[in-house]
Amino acid sequence: MRQAGMYSGILSGGGISGRTGPHLLPLARIKKIMKKSSVDVKMISGEAPLVFSKACELFIEELTKRSWNMTIHGKRRTLHKEDVASAVATTDVFDFLIDLVHPNGNDVNEDDHVPEN
Amino acid sequence: MVHNIGSNYPNREEVLNFSTYDATTSASQQDLGVINEQDRLLPIANVGRIMKQILPPNAKISKEAKETMQECVSEFISFVTGEASDHCRKEKRKTVNGDDVCWAMLNLGFDDYAEPLKKYLHKIREIDGERANQNKGASSSSNDDKDHTRNLHQETSSNYRSAGNQVPRKGTSSNLFKFNVIDKRNRF
Repeated sequence: MRQAGMYSGILSGGGISGRTGPHLLPLARIKKIMKKSSVDVKMISGEAPLVFSKACELFIEELTKRSWNMTIHGKRRTLHKEDVASAVATTDVFDFLIDLVHPNGNDVNEDDHVPEN
Repeated sequence: MVHNIGSNYPNREEVLNFSTYDATTSASQQDLGVINEQDRLLPIANVGRIMKQILPPNAKISKEAKETMQECVSEFISFVTGEASDHCRKEKRKTVNGDDVCWAMLNLGFDDYAEPLKKYLHKIREIDGERANQNKGASSSSNDDKDHTRNLHQETSSNYRSAGNQVPRKGTSSNLFKFNVIDKRNRF
């Protein structure tokens, strides 16, 4: 159920203007993930996690839509992990995810990687 | 697991714990692993909600699919941040800012995101700038913030649904710079 304020919260009142208040995704967590991505990442401006919160929303939407296409193709109504894997395999821009969704190189033709655990 | 670092007099509790976890390293690593797992992923509820909202109402999402999506999003953040950070380093800057994130998106092939994000970023900065002006002593209302940011989301979100939002107040755009001083002196 969509809650009033979940979308608008990011925008109205103390949303963007105060950089506090409800966002779709937790900014502190985004910042943590950013910091862990590389030793080089030391300082992050306040706006960067905000931009990412929007970007992640777009990313999730795109990957979900593409995954759902796979679900429909399989004549199902439940989106499964395999659908996500297929969507990743068939979308160039999601190449960076291939190892993540196919750790054993099951479905992808050219995957020669040793699975990392 | 604490190994009595810096303490000459280990308290009893620490000693007991130490002896209980004989395979100490693996136990502590496991503990750390659990904590890190939560830290490195975005909450499944939030991720699941975004997924659900873009799918048809009768669609179902398996828990595993949501977990996979969590992993993918974190990977996405790391991937883009790494690129943005590299970019900063080459330009001899220390702080990764919103422009760097947008630049990295474009560079990594997320063309479709770059434009909406740039707009978003622009508005964020605009609002911040206005807010700074407001804080400098203007007595104007914050209606503009709300209108700006609402428009911002509509422009940039592919699936923005405005139902449930509060009714936009009619703030005049010039309110920001009008100083509405209430003069209570007697007038003739």
